[in-house]
Amino acid sequence: MASVSLSEAEKVYIVHGVQEDLRVDGRGCEDYRGVEVETDVVSNTSGSARVRLGHTDILVGVKAEMGTPKLEKPNEGYLEFFVDCSANATPEFEGRGGDDLGTEIANTLYRIFHNKSSVDLEALCISPREHCWVLYVDVLLLECGGNLFDAISIAVKAALFNTRIPRVRVLEDEEGSKDIELSDDPYDSIRLSVEHVPCIVTLCKIGCRHVVDATLQEEACSLASLLVAVTSKGVVTCVRKVGKGSLDPESIFEMMETSKRVGKVLHASLQSVLHKEESLGPRRPKIGFLG
Amino acid sequence: MLKSKTFLKKTRAGGVMKIVREHYLRDDIGCGAPGCAACSGAHEGAVLESQPLDPPSSLCPQPHYLLPDTNVLLHQIDVLEDPAIRNVIVLQTVMQEVRNRSAPVYKRIRDVTNNQEKHFYTFTNEHHRETYVEQKQGENSNDRNDRAIRVAAKWYNEHLKKMSAENQLQVVFITNDRKNKEKAIEEGIPAFTCEEYVKSLTANPELIDRLACLSEEGNEIESGKVIFSEHLPLSKLQQGIKSGTYLQGTYRASRENYLEATVWVHGDAEENKEIILQGLKNLNRAIHEDIVAVELLPKNQWVAPSSVVLHDEGQNEDDVEKEEERELIIRAAVSEKMLKPTGRVVGIIKRNWRPYCGMLSKSDIKESRRHLFTPADRRIPRIRIETRQASALEGRRIIVAIDGWPRNSRYPNGHFVRNLGEVGDKETETEVLLLEHDVPHQPFSQAVLSFLPKMPWSITDMDMKNREDLRHLCVCSVDPPGCTDIDDALHCRELENGNLEVGVHIADVSHFIRPGNALDQESARRGTTVYLCEKRIDMVPELLSSNLCSLRCNVDRLAFSCIWEMNHNAEILKTKFTKSVINSKASLTYAEAQMRIDSATMNDDITISLRGLNKLAKILKKRRIEKGALTLSSPEVRFHMDSETHDPIDLQTKELRETNSMVEEFMLLANISVAKKIHEEFSEHALLRKHPAPPPSNYEILVKAAKSKNLEIKTDTAKSLADSLDRADSPTFPYLNTLLRILATRCMMQAVYFCSGMDNDFHHYGLASPIYTHFTSPIRRYADIIVHRLLAVAIGADCTYPELTDKHKLADICKNLNFRHKMAQYAQRASVAFHTQLFFKSKGIVSEDAYILFVKKNAIVVLIPKYGLEGTVFFEEKDKPKPRLIYDDEKPSLKIENTVFHIFDKVKVKIMLDSSNLQHQKIRMSLVEPWIPGISVPSDTSNTDINEPDKKKKKLEK
Repeated sequence: MASVSLSEAEKVYIVHGVQEDLRVDGRGCEDYRGVEVETDVVSNTSGSARVRLGHTDILVGVKAEMGTPKLEKPNEGYLEFFVDCSANATPEFEGRGGDDLGTEIANTLYRIFHNKSSVDLEALCISPREHCWVLYVDVLLLECGGNLFDAISIAVKAALFNTRIPRVRVLEDEEGSKDIELSDDPYDSIRLSVEHVPCIVTLCKIGCRHVVDATLQEEACSLASLLVAVTSKGVVTCVRKVGKGSLDPESIFEMMETSKRVGKVLHASLQSVLHKEESLGPRRPKIGFLG
Repeated sequence: MLKSKTFLKKTRAGGVMKIVREHYLRDDIGCGAPGCAACSGAHEGAVLESQPLDPPSSLCPQPHYLLPDTNVLLHQIDVLEDPAIRNVIVLQTVMQEVRNRSAPVYKRIRDVTNNQEKHFYTFTNEHHRETYVEQKQGENSNDRNDRAIRVAAKWYNEHLKKMSAENQLQVVFITNDRKNKEKAIEEGIPAFTCEEYVKSLTANPELIDRLACLSEEGNEIESGKVIFSEHLPLSKLQQGIKSGTYLQGTYRASRENYLEATVWVHGDAEENKEIILQGLKNLNRAIHEDIVAVELLPKNQWVAPSSVVLHDEGQNEDDVEKEEERELIIRAAVSEKMLKPTGRVVGIIKRNWRPYCGMLSKSDIKESRRHLFTPADRRIPRIRIETRQASALEGRRIIVAIDGWPRNSRYPNGHFVRNLGEVGDKETETEVLLLEHDVPHQPFSQAVLSFLPKMPWSITDMDMKNREDLRHLCVCSVDPPGCTDIDDALHCRELENGNLEVGVHIADVSHFIRPGNALDQESARRGTTVYLCEKRIDMVPELLSSNLCSLRCNVDRLAFSCIWEMNHNAEILKTKFTKSVINSKASLTYAEAQMRIDSATMNDDITISLRGLNKLAKILKKRRIEKGALTLSSPEVRFHMDSETHDPIDLQTKELRETNSMVEEFMLLANISVAKKIHEEFSEHALLRKHPAPPPSNYEILVKAAKSKNLEIKTDTAKSLADSLDRADSPTFPYLNTLLRILATRCMMQAVYFCSGMDNDFHHYGLASPIYTHFTSPIRRYADIIVHRLLAVAIGADCTYPELTDKHKLADICKNLNFRHKMAQYAQRASVAFHTQLFFKSKGIVSEDAYILFVKKNAIVVLIPKYGLEGTVFFEEKDKPKPRLIYDDEKPSLKIENTVFHIFDKVKVKIMLDSSNLQHQKIRMSLVEPWIPGISVPSDTSNTDINEPDKKKKKLEK
């Protein structure tokens, strides 16, 4: 994990600040940094999004490919996650350096999507047992500025919102052999409902308080943090503790309450941004990496 | 400006891919109209005319350009190709669609746009900033393209208005799609259907005939009765083929019987390779050469190939009942084992229509505009066309293209394309047979000619590199009289050690034709020179074929020499290949060479050389025959032409002299030596020629025929065949042997070129040689040029190039060469047949002796040795009582009333030209002897009504 090294005095300064609900960059404990979201940034994907959260920079591409459903779930499609930690983010990621972090994040993503309510997987099925859509969600970590998980989960949600899966029809003849027909209108596509897709809210225990959206410096002062995946309705789908320190049950409860509260607001503002962007239509000037 | 185009594509594996392409829009694309200020400088040289003086159209009198949509281009290309249609804007959208949908039409439109006279302009509207349109939501790509075309038409009209207001130039949108037209008019674009527009061209009424009749409404044939079952859609066919319910194959109509066809199933399936189709309904509108899907019928409906000769003569309309009656005739009872897999066509996978030559059979109804067209090729059904100039086209050879074949029509619908000329006219007929046999015969293009050496040509020092100077040798050539493309010359001299040195010198064509250039490509395409009776279609331009490459006497010529050292027993001691320069001392004809050898008085170098060659050739021939080489026979005839009218005045069978076989023997030897050498050097990509041994079943007819004369023909090996043919002699019937040899020839397989890396059977059956190639006629065969190149590389006289050592490319070349050779042969035969007709036309009616070659169910095929002419004598005629016919398949014989005809029986036939069918003027033969009442005709008087008009005409001429 990318990290910074802080002197003892700096740490004390940050911890004391948090205690007073005043953080180094002037935020309160439950405030996020400004989030920039842009979707449809990579034209050859089915859906993509780029999210900047402070200095954290994430690019997510979703590719829809045809595959066969898993045996245990014959009438559902599935999602595959892959996280690539670019060496652009930090030199430590060079070579295989980022693999551990990538796997960790991917596993977390699997866990938060591993439930019926997050995504309507049945909509991804084309013909039971034979064909389904597999969504390959590729996350590219461009810059680490703290709070990776939250940024990634926002980007994944935005990319899924942006995803358009070509509409196909299964033609069947008398002999039962099936053929897949593709519509020649590229706009003829299905979209996933992202209403129940959760976002992760990470709460960092600093001193005896906890903060959301910690910067790298703040993360260095924290011994334990809690990842809580919350849906827009405030339902918690997954909780995970990271870091070597311990948390007492009471504060965990408290942190979950905070995350629900913060999560709802986060979802609401993300949703409104996405809709607003879409209403601009295909002619909206794209910013991409030039902005 | 950069845009990106996104589209989805299905991959072969069944997945779906999203593809994104960058698309650049520009604002410097010219409109193609000259003097256009708005886009001046944007185009070099305007293509369209500034004042299009098109034939006046009553629909839009002001000057205008045409802008056709894709379907108009695809279906009405014949109209667009007419010189009357000029100043047409072809949009890139249209071009791309055409390219995807029909490669032949695309090529034709490319040719038209390249023709400067036609003023066709290709406008790249897809890259023009103002005419590019993006696919909208809910719009399929067809709608998008239609919109793009309309947008471009609109842009043009506005653009031209800007150019000069007083000019009133317009762009007229031509579409056959009703909705598209309506939308265009709504948007203010002048739009017409193709038919409307062409009909408005009052000055060119003949164009209407060239319109393809496609419109479903109105043009339906009166009788709404559905004759054929529906063709299944392609997707179903593909599924069926995948699952094995249907078989895919090439449809081959029968020449003899229009109700029968075979389908050659693609792939390696051992059984059901060839499927028989019988009856109009089972043929289901397939046309010769189409790729079709067939369904096998249950075994109890299987039939045997009928041996009935049946031609479609039904006048005009759809008498389907009669057809069914005829179908019953051919389904005569046959033995079980004769039954072959039988099927029916369920759908067409790919049409392989081309324009067909033929003649109009004018409708009996006077004012009718619908007429039937009878193609020259019997395998093609008659085509119904609509024309107003029927009387002008009567008796002329015309070209017609098929447009479609509705389910309720007995015949396909088509439209008139081109008038070739008067029937019977030599020029026209030659054109017809060249077109029908797909022989490329256009004059060589400038691009091709530009690669010819500059005249005056002489041998330079550069040419002498890697080349041996053999000008001192006493080389001479021996060829048929009048031959101008001499590609081989010979020499023979005694060496100091007592051995003989024999040289075969072949024109070094590969020195002039360098790989890959236009000249090379054109020669490769033509593949072979085609010799017709009075015309030669050269493979290489005349400068090469008759001058620079022709080994004429007393000039220095470049050659590729194959030189052997032999002992007097004609055993090869040493072989050498070299590029050389020779100077032939004499160009002899076969007769002249023979005379020199025979006359004791002549003792010059040339004659001595010839005698040496002749002596060796005899030994070589003997040895070859001992090995089992076949001497087969085919009746070959030559025409004596009248020097002024070029009409044939006499027929003569080819005479064979010793010198013929002398030259042949050394050519064979050279070919074999070269084949060995190139195969040794390039085991994977040598171009060789093989002649597969025929399957034993091919010989059945020969064995049966010989048996009927109490002779035995052994066919297990080539050697035993050759021997038994030699023994098969009858003292009372001297011509029998020749007849047997002619039959044996018919049993043979085609010899073919192939690439050594793609095959492992190299044997040449007819020549009894384990390896063979063609090296000795590079002027008239492309295969020899490749062999020359291979050999030159092998001996280090020339450099190689990548294509030469690519066996797949070589295999492609072989495929083309084999096709061209076959077609050239057919064209040659057709030319001989036509000249035979001319000959008999002038000769009148003659009676000649003939021998029966084959016995068919209702006819006999006879050969007239005097003319080398083969013909069929029919015993069933329309409007005549049918005679009692009993056909015996085991011992090929046919019993008519009380007379039995066996194979090889001698008969007397009357030969005359049957002009009752102008299209297929044919030699008609009727029986004179033996006399069968009601069938035979008297030999001298001509009381058959067929020749009566002919006779009268002749009298008038005199």
